[in-house]
Amino acid sequence: MDKVIGDAKKAFITGNETVAWAALAAGAEVMFGYPITPQNEVMHYWTRMAPKYNREFLQTEDEISAGFTVCGAVQSGKKAFTATAGPGNVLMQEPFGMAEAMRLPLVAVIQQRGGPSSGTVVYSQQEVTLTTFGGNGEGMRIVYSTATHQEIYDYTIKAFNVAWKHRFPTFVLGDGYQAKMREPMEMYDPIDKGIEMVAPYPLIGLGGEIGVDREPAHLCNIYSLEEELYEVVLKHAAEYEALSPSIVEWTEGECEDADIIILSHGVVSRAADDAVKALRAQGIKASYFRPITLRPFPQQALRDAIARSGAKKLLVAESAYGQLERLTRQEIYGETIKIETLFKPGVGIIDNDIINKVKSVL
Amino acid sequence: MKVIGFSRQDSFGLGETGAMLNPKARWVLRHEGDIIMDIGYGVHGARTLNLVEGADESPELKVLAVVNYTRPMTNSPERVVDYLQGLGRVDGIIANTHLGDETTLEIICQGNRMIRDTVRQLGMEVIYAAVDQKLAKAIIPGECEIPIKYIHRYMPSAIW
Amino acid sequence: MVAPVTPKSWYLPTKPHKFCPGCGHGIVLKALGENIDELGIQDKTIFGCDIGCSLLSWNFFACDSTQTHHGRTTPVMVGIKRSRPELVTVGYMGDGGGYSIGSQHLVNAAVRNEKLTLILVNNTNYGMTGGQMAPTTLPGQKTETTPYGRDPELTGYPTKGPEFISAITPDSAYVARATVSKYKQLKRFIRNALRNQLEGNGFSFVEVLSTCPTNWRTNAQQTWHFLEDDMEKYFPVGEIKSPFGKGDKTNVAD
Repeated sequence: MDKVIGDAKKAFITGNETVAWAALAAGAEVMFGYPITPQNEVMHYWTRMAPKYNREFLQTEDEISAGFTVCGAVQSGKKAFTATAGPGNVLMQEPFGMAEAMRLPLVAVIQQRGGPSSGTVVYSQQEVTLTTFGGNGEGMRIVYSTATHQEIYDYTIKAFNVAWKHRFPTFVLGDGYQAKMREPMEMYDPIDKGIEMVAPYPLIGLGGEIGVDREPAHLCNIYSLEEELYEVVLKHAAEYEALSPSIVEWTEGECEDADIIILSHGVVSRAADDAVKALRAQGIKASYFRPITLRPFPQQALRDAIARSGAKKLLVAESAYGQLERLTRQEIYGETIKIETLFKPGVGIIDNDIINKVKSVL
Repeated sequence: MKVIGFSRQDSFGLGETGAMLNPKARWVLRHEGDIIMDIGYGVHGARTLNLVEGADESPELKVLAVVNYTRPMTNSPERVVDYLQGLGRVDGIIANTHLGDETTLEIICQGNRMIRDTVRQLGMEVIYAAVDQKLAKAIIPGECEIPIKYIHRYMPSAIW
Repeated sequence: MVAPVTPKSWYLPTKPHKFCPGCGHGIVLKALGENIDELGIQDKTIFGCDIGCSLLSWNFFACDSTQTHHGRTTPVMVGIKRSRPELVTVGYMGDGGGYSIGSQHLVNAAVRNEKLTLILVNNTNYGMTGGQMAPTTLPGQKTETTPYGRDPELTGYPTKGPEFISAITPDSAYVARATVSKYKQLKRFIRNALRNQLEGNGFSFVEVLSTCPTNWRTNAQQTWHFLEDDMEKYFPVGEIKSPFGKGDKTNVAD
């Protein structure tokens, strides 16, 4: 794979531009997409650079098509990805479901916007439920929630590797603020950081002569008998569960001894980080826990942090109306820690919001 | 300073920042006084000036291209040339090399020097370098051999 | 202050409207408004709009209106018309909402000869989202997702909507293509499209060639040139199918 970046270099760019460069550096060969705010620039940059690096692009007729064309591309053995938001994410649940069922290494970047429906074009964290458990399946997906542009870059590259190695559709969950704001980050070619890119391989179009060299490949996502489906789902679930411990990622801080743990993801975790520092400086024993993988959720790590800290309260802060909270509660069922909430659906959360909330509940 | 543009409340259903043209923006050149037009990205480059009435006839209008050497689209001499040639009309360059909160004197000077040397080959000059006021003390005037204008940022906590 | 004369069916509290200077939407909506007035159907007209610049018309009329999803204006209008046939359903959308994400709905509504009036504004790009390629983008045209010009080998030729609608509809449908550069004809075609619904005949569809100087980055002269000279080369203006008399494809000045 040819190098795209050359010497690692710092860049001051938007999250969307970061996605495009990361996908190029990861060796993505084709992007399919459809315009929807706030992820359009991923396509704008990709279409400008694609010819220079011999990559392909098609603007499809809609998001359903964008998702299914990615499914087709990965079945044929090419690294492919798409990006979307809001209602586009809703439409893509059908192809994402097919990717789950047929174990396709689909990569999608989601830049959350206000919901439901057309909501706002700006920002939210309201696509957590959709991205983690959308579609008519069991949520056998890997979802990374990024908070910085560096992470967008790192996890977009990682998404391709994780998807192609483990064959679960993999998502980079960002949001409109990350998409549009600019901050410094470092671009690099994965090989220069010792990251080996997993090679793609086809499931169809396998070469050779059928009947002579090989049997034809017959792929399906439907079964005749309930029991057949049962076996398939259990098999996938077993693989997913076996994989989870090595895939989960999270960060935590000050959880050695705390009265309250602030749980947040994505950009809100940056505010939580600042809030914890400010609260500690005022003598309040706050700590933070940030899941990076929302699927699989780092539930054991969170249970450990709760036990270790001795905290009596868990404050869930999210720019949604309980999507992270519901996900957390289901994952840490049995824990008796009291859950407080700071819900600001579609609205950004700054450190002061969290600081004031913490003070009001302690 | 008067800002001509849609307020956020007026931007119902706004698809992208700056997607809609404010009617007042079309006629800005008829205003008295100094006018600064912030013309963003787009595949059409300086042709955006077609939307401003009288732009091609205005003797005072200057089209300045702002170049940040840390942006991947302009982080090498070839890319800077490509970018400027794709823009269309460019009367001068503003060197804006910076890396947000991680900006250092070295990054600014190295980048801006590359810009200056590159654009000279196109027969253009860097009119000035824009530098965050916070770095004023670190920079020795004349060090980068480019005149400097210091920027005061009014909205450092704004998210966009 | 002298205010311009506006149709009664225009909702004055939302004027001046937010469409860009030089945008064709204002002209189309005026023709529609005048027809609503002249036909006396303001109280029973339901106006549906899509996502994109057509979205800005959600509170444009003094008629009951509903904003839908991108490409879903047609099915929402079908739902309304089938439930309340006495209402006059007018769906308003752009080239993306009609020929791209909305194409399956458009085709099926046409095949079923749904008694709707659909007006599709064609300005060869996705304006509201920043100027991406549309189904009707011309070959060679630069957009944000065809930065080197649209290559028909890769992305096909511009969609000719009224032509395919005409092919799949019965003779009781009304199909036409108008342009904002010929107002009287535009108004007449919209009138026929409304009449066709009022008389209970069938599917009524008018595509309107329109301008988008903001995303085309064109001054007034260049804008008209692109509309009249370039666009009309691909999109012939005229009535393609009409129960009211011979459909004729020539540009008829009224």
